Amino acid sequence: MEITISALKKYYGDKKILDIDGLSIEKGKITGLIGPNGSGKTTLLRIISGLDMDYAGTIKYDGSLLDEGIYKKMTLVTQKPYFFKRKVYENIEHPLKVRKVNKAVRKKKVEEIMYRFEIQDLRNKKGHLLSGGESQKVSLARALIFEPELLLLDEPTSNIDPVSIKIMEREILNFNRETKGTVLIVTHNIEQAERLCHKIIPLDGGKVVE
Amino acid sequence: MVIFIDYIAQGFKEAINLLISFDKEIYEIIFLSLFVSTSATIIASLIFIPLGIHLGIKDFRGKRVLSRILYTLMSTPSVVVGLLVAILLSRRGPFGYLDLMYTPKAMIIAQTLLVSPLILGLTYSLSKNRGKEIQKIGITLGASKLDIIILVTRELKIDLIVNIVTAFSRAISEVGAVMIVGGNIKNKTRVITTAISMMNSMGEYPMAIALGLVLLIISFGINSLIYSYSGED
Amino acid sequence: MKKFIALTLSLILALTLLVGCGQGNESQDLEEAEENVVEKEEESNETSGERIILATTTSTQDSGLLDYLLPVFEEKYGITVDVVAVGTGKALEMGRNGEADILLVHAKASEEEFVAEGHGLERRDVMYNDFVLVGPAEDSLALKENYPNNILGALAAISENQATFVSRGDDSGTHKKELSIWEEAGIEPAGDWYLEAGAGMGDVLKMADEMQGYTLTDRATYLNMRDVLELEIVVEGDENLFNQYGIIPVNPEKNDQINAEGAQKLFEWFLSDEAQNLIGEYGVEEFGQPLFTPNAK
Repeated sequence: MEITISALKKYYGDKKILDIDGLSIEKGKITGLIGPNGSGKTTLLRIISGLDMDYAGTIKYDGSLLDEGIYKKMTLVTQKPYFFKRKVYENIEHPLKVRKVNKAVRKKKVEEIMYRFEIQDLRNKKGHLLSGGESQKVSLARALIFEPELLLLDEPTSNIDPVSIKIMEREILNFNRETKGTVLIVTHNIEQAERLCHKIIPLDGGKVVE
Repeated sequence: MVIFIDYIAQGFKEAINLLISFDKEIYEIIFLSLFVSTSATIIASLIFIPLGIHLGIKDFRGKRVLSRILYTLMSTPSVVVGLLVAILLSRRGPFGYLDLMYTPKAMIIAQTLLVSPLILGLTYSLSKNRGKEIQKIGITLGASKLDIIILVTRELKIDLIVNIVTAFSRAISEVGAVMIVGGNIKNKTRVITTAISMMNSMGEYPMAIALGLVLLIISFGINSLIYSYSGED
Repeated sequence: MKKFIALTLSLILALTLLVGCGQGNESQDLEEAEENVVEKEEESNETSGERIILATTTSTQDSGLLDYLLPVFEEKYGITVDVVAVGTGKALEMGRNGEADILLVHAKASEEEFVAEGHGLERRDVMYNDFVLVGPAEDSLALKENYPNNILGALAAISENQATFVSRGDDSGTHKKELSIWEEAGIEPAGDWYLEAGAGMGDVLKMADEMQGYTLTDRATYLNMRDVLELEIVVEGDENLFNQYGIIPVNPEKNDQINAEGAQKLFEWFLSDEAQNLIGEYGVEEFGQPLFTPNAK
């Protein structure tokens, strides 16, 4: 049970951004991708999450190629998340709504996750008016609400306050422990990687550093 | 110069007289204008807003060519649209059997064609610039393709409404298309702009000014509505 | 903030569209007229510099008569004639406001009133053309058979049977003529069958053609458009259908810009044998019949 990447090549124009062959990411574990800027970490996450489909090579999830059904089981949290111009409550509720979860269950889950992230007082704030630290917490809460099989995190805690970082790291670990969800996290903070990850994969120049 | 000021003064006076006396003819003209242009704007919006959003966020070959074609179509003169519709609907044209020429229906068809590229083009460029971001979050949160179009529509609501109003303004203020396919027939196909054009050629400036004022009042009213609406958001 | 700017810009755009078009419509004709004037002025500066403004009806312009006549005058006197073709009502209005130097129109009663009020110097007959009633080729009312030269009878039949009749409805000379004939027939035309188009002769002919209806038209415009219409002449030759054109130099006391001298020359030339003969020949080659009958006395 794993995600396997073979013969993956990605170009921007003539420039090779990614060149990865024979990499596997174990499911149920937290894996860290670290490396300097421009090493291709973010591009790899975008490809796995389905935002970027313009690449060569194969990526398999549990032995089958990525498709819409699989994309629905994963989610991506970015550095600068987009929020709908609605209340925080509705932003967090959204993934459950598109999955047709009934209202009572939705309410229970949203309340619970807001409590865990300590963001209950933000419930009526408009999503696009959140500050940096608030938005990262809400974004992660919105991602975890539907208990994805695979959580992709692109530097989720850069430039935010230590208290928020602590809450987020706690919830990432909780998620992995409680749901056996797989986590793939891009970070340039090695200490954070060591605090969270079962395995660390260093990338440089689009390649896995052996 | 004195005569000119006289005209204006008389025009204002007559406009107010006509409006407060609920002159049947002038209200019929105003109502038909609103009816034709609103219908055309709604029809064009229902079809071309979803399509514009879809095309804006979709990656495909020829996107740049499409932009260029749309921008050209957006500035098509209304008389050209009128001519096209007249050729199609006239008795000897391919749709002559429908007997639509010189009816409000023909005017709605012409104005729908006139504002469709505008709606499509404005929606498309809006969606191209700002829809991607919303599409991304939609994908990462598990929305289907239809969910995404609904999501983008809702997120860009205010800008879309502004686009719709722009299209409506173009429709209600154009004279070429409705003149050609409607024919400016009294009590049947006469709208504000064709009436103004006719009043002018008849030398009846006061009435023309009166109707011109009504057109401005309509535009002012709609735009005020939008202001208050966007203020709420 | 960005959104606000975008919104403001959109609104300005929307408003501009409205305002722009509104004004455009109101002053379109005048602007066009002025543009023409400016263009011609530049041309004429190269020649003699003198010009006059002739306000006339669309029918004389559309029939091509002026394009045929005026170059002869211009060559002879070195005066450029700028033609502003509008409805008779508007032409008289232009005269009243001193915007034209001379008028060539066809609404005798209004013209006489115009002179009586001191807006014009004098009025003289120039020529007449005639109107015809045209209708669908099938002519289901059999007007051609029953009323070949009786316009009053034909109009009565149309109104009784509520057959579609398209009226100019634009206060033009032709429209006034039509109304006077209805009045003569003792009928007040109203109802779904009587359509007031508020449009020019060409548009109205196309409308009548499209709707298989009847309309009253000047012969010249009809002959010019005959090829693209399925309409045929059903009534002609009735005295009620004759249409007298008059020429009036505008009273030069209106303002300094009126070219009284040039206007007088054109006035006299229109009444001269030369011009009268030219008028009588116009249209014979193309249509096999003259479009206007000269009758200056």
